[in-house]
Amino acid sequence: MSTVKATRPLESPSRLRRRIKPVKIASFVTLIITTFLMLLPLFFMVSTSLKSKREMLKFPPTFLPESWAWSNYTDIFETLQFGTLYKNSLIIAGFSVFGTLLSSALVAYGFARYRGRGNNFWFILLLSTMMLPYPAIMIPQFVLFSKMQWIDTFLPLIVPAFFGSAYNIFLLRQFFSTLPEELFDAGRMDGCGELRMWRTIALPLSAPALATVAIFAFIYSWNDLLTPVLYLSSSDKFTLPVGMASLTSSRFRIPPWHLLMVASVLAMVPIVTLFAIAQKQFVEGIVLTGIK
Amino acid sequence: MNHIMKSKRYALLLAAALTAMTVLAGCGGGKSAGNVAAGDSGAGNTGSSGEQVTISHYTIDSEDRTFIEKLIPDFEKEHPNIKVKVEKAPYEQFDSKLQTLIAGGNSPDVTSHYGYGGFAEYYNKGMLLDLTDLIKEDGFKAEDYHIPENLMKIYTVNGHTYGIPVNMYVTLMLYNKDMFDAAGVSYPPSDYEDKSWTFDRMVEDARKMTLVSDDIAKTQYGVDFTWAERDMRPLYFGAEPYSEDTWTNGGVPSETHFDSPEVIAAYQKLFDLVFKDKVSPTSEWSKSVAGQNGDPFVAGKIGMSIGGSWNLAGANDFPFKVGVAAVPWGGNDKVRSTLYVDPLLILKDSKHPKEAFEWIKYLVTTEVQEKSIELSGGNPPVNTEAAEVYYKHFDGIDPGDVKKVYEGAVKYGYESYNHLITHYSQINDMFINELQPVETGHKSLEEVMPVIQKKVMEIIKR
Repeated sequence: MSTVKATRPLESPSRLRRRIKPVKIASFVTLIITTFLMLLPLFFMVSTSLKSKREMLKFPPTFLPESWAWSNYTDIFETLQFGTLYKNSLIIAGFSVFGTLLSSALVAYGFARYRGRGNNFWFILLLSTMMLPYPAIMIPQFVLFSKMQWIDTFLPLIVPAFFGSAYNIFLLRQFFSTLPEELFDAGRMDGCGELRMWRTIALPLSAPALATVAIFAFIYSWNDLLTPVLYLSSSDKFTLPVGMASLTSSRFRIPPWHLLMVASVLAMVPIVTLFAIAQKQFVEGIVLTGIK
Repeated sequence: MNHIMKSKRYALLLAAALTAMTVLAGCGGGKSAGNVAAGDSGAGNTGSSGEQVTISHYTIDSEDRTFIEKLIPDFEKEHPNIKVKVEKAPYEQFDSKLQTLIAGGNSPDVTSHYGYGGFAEYYNKGMLLDLTDLIKEDGFKAEDYHIPENLMKIYTVNGHTYGIPVNMYVTLMLYNKDMFDAAGVSYPPSDYEDKSWTFDRMVEDARKMTLVSDDIAKTQYGVDFTWAERDMRPLYFGAEPYSEDTWTNGGVPSETHFDSPEVIAAYQKLFDLVFKDKVSPTSEWSKSVAGQNGDPFVAGKIGMSIGGSWNLAGANDFPFKVGVAAVPWGGNDKVRSTLYVDPLLILKDSKHPKEAFEWIKYLVTTEVQEKSIELSGGNPPVNTEAAEVYYKHFDGIDPGDVKKVYEGAVKYGYESYNHLITHYSQINDMFINELQPVETGHKSLEEVMPVIQKKVMEIIKR
C-alpha cells in the first residue's frame, strides 16, 4: 500500500503532463486563433469608429487609426439625435421583454401543466404561426393598428409582445414540463392557487429559461428594423436601427461609415451588458432546454 | 451559491419590472405627441381663414432628402392654412413602407420614386394622380419656374402630366487629376462638342494610367465605365434594346432586342475594357478595393469614372484633386448621357391634392431651389436659373466645367430607363443576376443574352 502511494505522486503528474501537453497546446492555439478571427471584425468596427472621414476612405485600410478621432463619439449625438433614438429603443425593448416574459410564461405554463380536449391541436396551431413570415401579416396588421389610431406611437411595437410568441412559449413549455409534478401537488395541498403556483414555484425554478427568453426578446426588439419603419413617422420617435439605416440611406453620398461604426459600438453595449448579467442563466437555459 | 443565483434571478425580474415602470411615463408622452401631430386640433385654426389641412411628404430618410423639413417653416408662414409633415423611411425600406401606407389607407400626399420602383411602375399600378386639371386650374407654367419643357415631357403620358420635375442628375465623367498628372496624360475635355473625345481615345488614355501589380495597394486602373443601368448601356453605342412604342404607351415595350447582334456587340465593347484591353477592374477587384465605400474611384484607384452626377456631391471629401469631363462619344450621335430627373408626384389617394400642389410649386421656385442646393449638400436643381448656383457648389472644380458638362449632358441626354419602363425593379434585378457570370468572366455574352431577352419579355408581360 505504502509503495503504491509513494510511486503514484511521483509518476502520475509527469505522465499526465506528457500526455496532455500537446493536446492542451493545440487546443490553446486553436482557441487563440479562432478568438482572434472572431474578434477581428469587432476590432475593425472599433478601429473604424475612431478614424477620420478621410482615413476611412483609404485603401488598403489602416489597421489602427492614424489620428484617433475621439470626437466621432460626440459627433454621433449631433448627426443622429442619437440620445433620443437610444432612449426610444430602450423603452420599446424594455416593454417587449416584459410583455414577452409575462405572456409567454403564462401561456407556456398552461400548455405544460394542463391536459384538456384539443390540447395538442391548439399547441400545433400555435407552433404553426412560427411559419408565417412577417411580410404575410404586415399589411393586415398595419390596417388594424391604423384603424386603432396607433400609427406613429410605440404601441404597435410593444403591445404584440404582450400576446406571446410561439417560439418563446414552446421554449418555456419544454422547461415547465420538466418540473416535477410533486412540487405542484405539495403546493396544491397547502392550498396554493394556480396563479400563485405559477408565480412562486414555476417562475423561480425557471430562471435560466426566462433569462434566455428575455435575451431573445431583447435582441429581437433591439435589432428590429421593418416594424419601426412601418409604424413610426416622426423622427423623434425613431429607434436606433432606423436611424442607423438612414446613415447609409443616401444613394448619392459616401456613407459616413466611421459614424455608423460608432453607433454600432454603442448599440452593442446593452446586449453585451444584458448577456453579461444573464450569462450563467443563459448558458444553463440552452443546455437544459436542449436547444442549441 | 444558491443564494447568489436566486438573487440574480430576482435582479433580472426586478430590472425588467423597473424598466417597464420608468418607461410607462415615456410611452404616455409619446402617445399624446402622436395625437397632436395627427390631428387638426383647435390650435391650428386660429388666425387662418381657410380650413386647416395637413399634407404629408414621404421621402428617404437621408440628409440630402430630409432637408425639406427646413423649408417648411417659411412655407407655412406663406400658407397659414397648410401644414406640412415629412414622413420618411430608409432607402431599402422605402417601397415597402409606401405600399403599406397606401394599402392601410394612410397614403402620403406628395412623394417621388426614390426607392427601387420607377415612375412607370407607379403609373401602371394606378398610384398617381393626374395633375393635368390641377395645372390648368392653377395656371402653372413650367417656364415660370425655369423648368425646360423637354423635362416636363418625361412625366407626361398621352398628354396627361403626372409629375413635376424637381432634381436633375446627369451622367458625367469624374477624373482623378493626380493620376493624370502622374501619367503625363492631358485632362479630358468638358465640352461635348469636342469631337476628338471618343471612346477609343478614352481607352488609350486609360491604358497609360493602368498599372496591374501583385501588390494590391499599387494596382490601379484607367477607367471604370458604368454608364447607367445595365440594360441601358447598349444605347451609348447606338444600339436600341427596347422598341420605339415603349416611350409612348406608359413604359410597356411590345418588343425587346437584347439578343440582337448590335446589342451584343455593344456589351462586348464594354466587357472588352475589362477582359481584353484590361484597363478596367473586374467586379471582384472593385468590390474588394472599394470595400465599405462601394466605389474604387473614391479610394483613388481609378483614373476616370463614368457615373451619375451625384458622385460630385462627395467630391469635396475625396483625398485627391478631381475634375469633371464630358462622357466620350461612343457611336451614338444623339445619346451620350443618362438623365435622372426626379419628379414630385401626388398620389391618387391624397385627400388634399390642391394644397399638395401648392407645396410642390413652392419647392421648384428659383429661391427655394437655390436654397436647396446648399441645404441638401449639392442636389442639382431642375430650375435652370438656380442651376447657376449649383455649378459653383464644388470646391476645387471649375464652375465653367460643371456648367459645360451639365449643359452638354442635357443636350445629349436620355431619361433613364428605370423611370420609364414598367416592372423596372424586377428587370434590373434580373439583369444584375444574369450578367454576373459575364462580369466575372465565367460565361460569354452569346450564352447569356438570349436568356436575358426571354426573361425581360416574361417580366414585361406580367
